[in-house]
Amino acid sequence: MRRAAVVFLALLALAGACSKKPPLTPNLAKENKVAVRSVTLFFETPDMLLGPEQRNLELPENPAGALSVVMRELLKGSANASVPRIFPADSVVRATFLLPDGTAFVDLGGPTLTGGWGTGSHEELMAVYSIVSTVTTNFPEVKRVRILVNGEPAETLAGHISLRQALRPMPGLIR
Amino acid sequence: MKRLAFSALGLLALASLLLAQATTPATLRLPSGDRPVSSTQQSGATYFAADEIMAALGGSMAADSNGFKVTLHNTVAAFGPDSRFAVVRDDLIEMPVAPIVVDGRAYAPWQFYQGFLARASQLDVAWDPAARVLQVKPATQNVAGVQLSVANVQGISKVVITLSAPMEYSIAKEPGAFTIRFRGAIRAPYVEQAHEDDPNVTKTSFVGSDLRIDLSGPDVVGDAYRLENPFRVVVDLRKGQASAPGVPPQAIPSRPVDLPGIRTIVIDPGHGGKEVGAIGPGGLMEKDATLNLCRRLAAALESKLKTRVILTRSDDSVVALDQRTSIANQYKADLFLSVHMNAAIVKGAHGAETYFLSLEASDELAKKAAELENAAAGGAPQNPATDLKLILWDLAQQDYLNESSKLAQDIQEEMNRITGVQSRGVKQAPFRVLVGATMPAALVEVAFITNPEEEARINSDAFQKTVVDALTTAVERYKLDYETRIGVVHPPAPPATTTAAPVKKAGT
Repeated sequence: MRRAAVVFLALLALAGACSKKPPLTPNLAKENKVAVRSVTLFFETPDMLLGPEQRNLELPENPAGALSVVMRELLKGSANASVPRIFPADSVVRATFLLPDGTAFVDLGGPTLTGGWGTGSHEELMAVYSIVSTVTTNFPEVKRVRILVNGEPAETLAGHISLRQALRPMPGLIR
Repeated sequence: MKRLAFSALGLLALASLLLAQATTPATLRLPSGDRPVSSTQQSGATYFAADEIMAALGGSMAADSNGFKVTLHNTVAAFGPDSRFAVVRDDLIEMPVAPIVVDGRAYAPWQFYQGFLARASQLDVAWDPAARVLQVKPATQNVAGVQLSVANVQGISKVVITLSAPMEYSIAKEPGAFTIRFRGAIRAPYVEQAHEDDPNVTKTSFVGSDLRIDLSGPDVVGDAYRLENPFRVVVDLRKGQASAPGVPPQAIPSRPVDLPGIRTIVIDPGHGGKEVGAIGPGGLMEKDATLNLCRRLAAALESKLKTRVILTRSDDSVVALDQRTSIANQYKADLFLSVHMNAAIVKGAHGAETYFLSLEASDELAKKAAELENAAAGGAPQNPATDLKLILWDLAQQDYLNESSKLAQDIQEEMNRITGVQSRGVKQAPFRVLVGATMPAALVEVAFITNPEEEARINSDAFQKTVVDALTTAVERYKLDYETRIGVVHPPAPPATTTAAPVKKAGT
């Protein structure tokens, strides 16, 4: 009997040691009202500007949660197969933050963006401002967007456009 | 048997404690008194429970789907367990390790609280691991934060010491070392750091308010100067003839002619080394195309305009973006031109584009300078000296931007003339390489390397010569216009047939 109790206690201790930590990210669908909403994503147009594309997405009501979903959707590219993808195909959105002062943080990652993206100013400008335009259009409370790479401040995505400051939208780039 | 079972139980319990990352108490020392705070250790780093510290300070803490947010005096910081950076306002707090989550609670290293409380309520934080005391006290005034970087550019090692507030200093030179003595308290970024890859600097170390720079040998000579906004002390070190004691080292060559006008031009071939830039469909790399073109451009400008021309790189080496502008600032250049090849996913993209810095990036730089000044002034929101400096800085930046716009316009007109493309024009964008240039500065995208036809042209000797001629003409046009406006060059006398000013008629 005593041996059984000891084994039980040992198993209990082992279970305690191996138990999973409570998940950091709660279930968005449970904690937020998730509903299908229309969002505007910006992709490059044939005349080398940024043009809007409407898409219906299941989004949580909480803007902080919705921001991540919208950013991940943007990186998937246009629904129109003839519109080329701006970002390298292996790019990912690692995290997003929304601060009460109107600054959104978008943390990007992926092998190409990490290892050095070899592209020119125009394409980099399109990539950076497709994010800025998409965030500020869908989240009116956001006034500017700071882009990070792998959770850290980055100079640029490809050697041109400064990411050292939060960026405001550039209407001249929108079609 | 019983002993064995209990031993196993003890071991398992110990393992459980270790795996569950046991928390241990430390002391949180506030001006109002001591209180315990939960802490935990992982891989040698110590973390403190964010909810307990926030509660002790009268702040609050919340978790959401993106991580954790702490709030104190309306200042919010957000952080997550994946990143060494917390965001506060539009700034970042760097931590040596990312925060961790234990039993659903966030634990952050003491550097997070140091960064956050300095911004939220002018508090300073220090961790004493021996006494296990995390001390929070009002920030000491006049302690300047220090950042240090060492970079080698064209054989010159530049040690840049950035201070959060201007401070007097003296430099003591001895064989094999320089010591910079600051006349006030500084917060050193580290105690000692080796610089194994640098040919001139072996080690930098801080003792009190002294920074010692150990050199690779007695033949390393140097020169120091200061820069403003933000306040920096720059020490340039290079191999040279060892100075006799008391004899000042040879200075880096300065401007040949100290007259107003365009006397020194810095040309920046985009990318270099492992940063290849865009690659054409035929394999031409942007870094090679820009270097070839810039070498020819430098020769043409020197020959035709009789100006001193400096290249930010003359070989296939990596030069940091801010280092390129620093070179222009260091040589007090009168004009900075960065040369690139463009890339687009749209097929058939062609033509040249010229950019100058957007006001947004310039504004951010001014704001950062003002924040540094305000931090140095103890966070005083209204500091007349800072305001004045900010106004002067703004005026200077606005002046540079106006001139940069004129330069970009001249370049674009000449490039349109040779390419016959009119649709692409002068644009403004926050180009990193143009931020911080204290002179008119522009960036030209010569052609689209991603377009096979343009790639072939970029590679051709004839097109390179045409581009060099166009850019030389553009710089010459700008130089003449600028020097005429400031009165160095007088405009040609008006022709004799010039119509006289209309005479005001009587009665009108």
